[in-house]
Order: sequence, then structure tokens, then C-alpha cells
Amino acid sequence: MSPEPVQTRIFEEEILSVSDVSLSFGGVKAIQNVSFDIKRGEIRAIIGPNGAGKTSMLNVINGFYHPQEGLIRFKGKARRRMRPSIAAAQGIARTFQNVALFKGMSTLDNIMTGRLPRLEKGIFGEIVNVFLQAAYLGPARRSELEQRKYVEEIIDFLEIQHIRRTPVGRLPYGLQKRVELGRALAMEPELLLLDEPMAGMNLEEKEDMSRFIIDVNDQYGTTIALIEHDISVVMDLSDRIIVLDYGRKIADGTPGEVQSNQAVMDAYLGVPHE
Amino acid sequence: MMFFLEVTISGLMAGVMYSLVALGFVLIFKASGVFNFAQGVMALFAGLTLVGLMEKFGLPPWAGIMATIAVMILLAWLIEFLILRRLVNQEHIILFMATIGLAYVLEGLGDVMWGSDVKLLDIGLPQGAVDWLLDDYNLYVEKLEVAAAVTAVIMVIVLAIFFQKTRIGRALRAVADDHQAALSVGISLRTIWVIVWSVSGIVALVAGIMWGSKSGVQFSLSLIALKALPVLMLGGFTSIPGAIIGGLIIGMGEKWAEIYMGPIIGGAIENWFAYMLALVFLLFRPQGLFGEKIIERI
Ligand SMILES: Nc1ncnc2c1ncn2[C@@H]1O[C@H](COP(=O)(O)OP(=O)(O)O)[C@@H](O)[C@H]1O
Ligand SMILES: [Mg+2]
Repeated sequence: MSPEPVQTRIFEEEILSVSDVSLSFGGVKAIQNVSFDIKRGEIRAIIGPNGAGKTSMLNVINGFYHPQEGLIRFKGKARRRMRPSIAAAQGIARTFQNVALFKGMSTLDNIMTGRLPRLEKGIFGEIVNVFLQAAYLGPARRSELEQRKYVEEIIDFLEIQHIRRTPVGRLPYGLQKRVELGRALAMEPELLLLDEPMAGMNLEEKEDMSRFIIDVNDQYGTTIALIEHDISVVMDLSDRIIVLDYGRKIADGTPGEVQSNQAVMDAYLGVPHE
Repeated sequence: MMFFLEVTISGLMAGVMYSLVALGFVLIFKASGVFNFAQGVMALFAGLTLVGLMEKFGLPPWAGIMATIAVMILLAWLIEFLILRRLVNQEHIILFMATIGLAYVLEGLGDVMWGSDVKLLDIGLPQGAVDWLLDDYNLYVEKLEVAAAVTAVIMVIVLAIFFQKTRIGRALRAVADDHQAALSVGISLRTIWVIVWSVSGIVALVAGIMWGSKSGVQFSLSLIALKALPVLMLGGFTSIPGAIIGGLIIGMGEKWAEIYMGPIIGGAIENWFAYMLALVFLLFRPQGLFGEKIIERI
């Protein structure tokens, strides 16, 4: 396994905190009493065996799932239930474990959807805008061009110029994951949730993706929550790690701390639970 | 030859009506995967509301139409608030059932509010035959039908721009493609639903006006929804151009069948011909003319 990063980065400001969250589906307790925080600017990994509740945790954070208990505080505002569209408007973007792209659209159009200004403004504002756009007038047109420019920057950043016009349904899996990252980046998120961004990739693709994640964190200062199975990647990238097992948090700390934690080793080596 | 043209034109004009209703179906199906059984009743309801408002308050046609549009938007909002929002994660069949319920509620509501007798709708659309066609070519074409066709064409162009060029259009296509992903980029399903149901309501109003001007606003209006079904089979449930072309083909085919095959086979062929045509077509192209997906969602 890789050594600990040479320098431990220090982060002060809390961007997200999860307190005593529990979530169950009928009898299945997907998350039990989990608490942790994410600091602004850090890369926070969430690891654990399959079915540990990692994806469910992301779903709670961006409002897909509503936990029965607990509170989530994002940028100082506490809440238990959340609508995904509002989470997005507040600055949370995500990718999915099983790529969720708009298959019928091109790479460019997919990423453009990340720039759809939040429709939360209300229907009437939208209707006015429709007329402006239909007439292709002033503000609407300018803003469309500005959006487009931002998206082109992301396309350059992710090195996917050559597939701009390709319908994403035809792209290989690795590239689809990259487009999905692009769509999330287009939202200019403050918190980016990545659910197994390297699953099913070969070594080279993994290295590319790792580089993009580091660069996003570096250049845009985006806070990242990362679910990943490849332990060496996790150790390399993350500032702190949360370990989940059977819906419970069993460890939380720097890569070094987690690595030397007996409970974690047990969970990973498959020591039977009594 | 003139007679053939006359039959064809009259078929196309009827087809335009079918297209309009089918369009309403397609919009809602694309955005929510729901087959809206109430689409036909919405046309009836819109027609009744328009006549009612004009009679009760002595509104001029344009004001009546504006007020009815407002009512249809309010209705869309209510449907989202009372039904869709609560059934969001249910099976499509449950939502389908809910729209059946909605159809009866709307029918009853129209009845209670405006009475159940056949009403004449006169918003000043031209009546009678187009004179120069009749005089110069001996071709009988109703002015009303021409007006309907022109209106439908304008509607379709406006809708096409709306869905291709605007952000709402992009959002709608995103929702149609992948709900979860659409939510994750911040598209509000609720807003989108209110918008598509409003647009469908307005499309229903146009259909209601056209049909009502021709044969009066009456219950049979809600039955044109049944004619939209073969149109959808032909055009595909998710394709706007499909709904248009499908409507025209069905309208035309139906009229030809009625005139040229009717006397041979026996009466009432216009009642089942559209379904026959659609069924035969389904065997060869189950996804419809322009359909993107096999109809697996209902
Ligand atoms: N929508 C759902 N309905 C029912 N059970 C679910 C749902 N989502 C997750 N679960 C259950 O919750 C548990 C945790 O799943 P998940 O969060 O996907 O784990 P992980 O991402 O760590 O592999 C599993 O037992 C899973 O079956
Ligand atoms: Mg998972």
C-alpha cells in the first residue's frame, strides 16, 4: 500500500455535517446512527464492503433518500429531508455508481444540462425567459453563449474534445464516467459526490480519473466526497476516510489511522460478524 | 379526381384534430412516463369552461380563451399537487389508474359547473366553404377546417421551438431520458410536470375549440381521445413528429376507407379502420414511425 501523503493538509471550515442519521427500507437498516463531517476543500473518502450503505449515504446527502432519523447540516443550514433539485441549487453535484447519463444526447448536451439554471426560480420567471429565448433576444442569448463557453472549458479540462458531438450511449464505459464527471462539474458545485468513479476502469483510465479528481480539488477548490473500492487510490487521494460496515461507521480518520485500525482490517479481510 | 382530393383534404383536416390530441398524450408521456387517459376529457373540460365563461360573464372570445388558459394552468398545478406528487414512486400502472380517475372527476366537474347539454361554441371562427376553391375548382373545403389546420401547424411550430431551443425543452428532454440524473442536475420534476400538463391543457383547449366549433361542445368530444390511441401506435408514444404524421395518416386513411371501402365492406368502417391500420403497422414497426423506444412503459 502507498505511504501516507508527505504533507497532511489542514482544513478548518465545516461544509457538511451528518449527525446520527439512520435510514431503513422496511426491515433493512441501510444506515444506522452515522455521524461525520466534511471540511471545505478536503477530499473525503467513504469506503466499506458492498452493501455497507455508502451509496445510501450519498443519496441522503443529495436528497434522493429521506432518513428516518438524524440531521444533515450543509453550509450551516440543518435539515432532515431534502429535495434533490434544492440540494443541486445549493451546490451539491454528484455522479452515480451506475452511470446515469442522458443517453440520447451528445457529450456536449449532457454537460450543458449541468448549466440549466435552477428551475426553482419559479414557473413565471421561466415563462418570461422562454419568450426572451424564443425571440433570441439580449440577455437570454448572451447567457446561452456564456454557458456554452464554460462547458467548453470543462470539455478541454477533461480532454474529451474528440467526443463532443458523440451521443453518449455509444461511448465506452470509461469515457461515459468522464462525461458524467463533466456534467457534475458544469454545476460549479461546492460539494461533489463521486460514487465509485473508477469502477470498471483499467489502470490507465484510473490514473486519468485520479488526476482529474486531484485537479478539480486543486484548481476549483471543490470539496469532494469519494466512494471507491480501490484502496490504493483511496489512500493516495483522500485527506480523511470514513469506513462503513453494515450501515455503521466503524472508523474515521486519516489514511494512516484507518490503515492501522483493526476493525477495518477485519471488515475488509472478511472476518465473520458474530 | 376532384372528389378524391376533397375526400383527402377532409381526411387530413380530421387528422389534424387527432394529431392535436395525440400531441397532448406524447408530451405527458415523455415527461412522466404516464399514459394520460384524461387527455380527451381535458379537451371536453376546456371546451365547456370556455363556453361557460363566455356565457356566464359575457366575455368576448379572446378574454374567454385567456381565462380558460388560466384555468388549465391552475388545473395542471392541482393535478401535480394532488396526484402526481403523491404517486411519484409508484408503478406506472397506478399513475395510469389515477388518470382514469381524473378523467371521471373532470367530466363530473365540467357537468356540475356548466351543465350537461350540448353547447354551441362560437368564437367567431369562419364558417362555410372556402369560396374560391368552390367557385374555381368545384372543391368543397370548410373554412373552419382550414382554420383548424393552420392553428395546428402554428401550435406545432411553437411547441417545436419551445422544446428544442429553450432551457425548459432541454430540461424536459433530460427528464424524459433519465429521471435520477435530471434530478441530480437540479431539474425540479414538479416544475416540469406543471409545465407539461399546462401545455397539454392548452393543446386540449385548442382541440376543444376546433371540435366544439364544428359539432358543439358535448360528451362525444372526450371520445376523440380513443382515436388518438391508434395515432400513438402509429407515431410512437414519445415522438412529437410521430404524433403529427400519425394523426394525418389515420385521418386520411379513415376517410378513404369510409368512402371507398365502406360501401363494399359495409357500414361503420370508420369506427374500426384506424385500429386495424395501427395494428397492422404495429406488427412491422412496434416502436412506431419515429418512436425511440419500444412502448414498454405503460
Ligand atoms: N432503494 C432501496 N430500497 C431497498 N433497499 C435499499 C435501497 N437502497 C439501498 N438499499 C439497501 O441498503 C443497503 C445499503 O446499500 P448501498 O447503500 O447501496 O450500499 P453500498 O453502496 O455501500 O454498496 C443494502 O442492503 C441495500 O440492499
Ligand atoms: Mg454503492
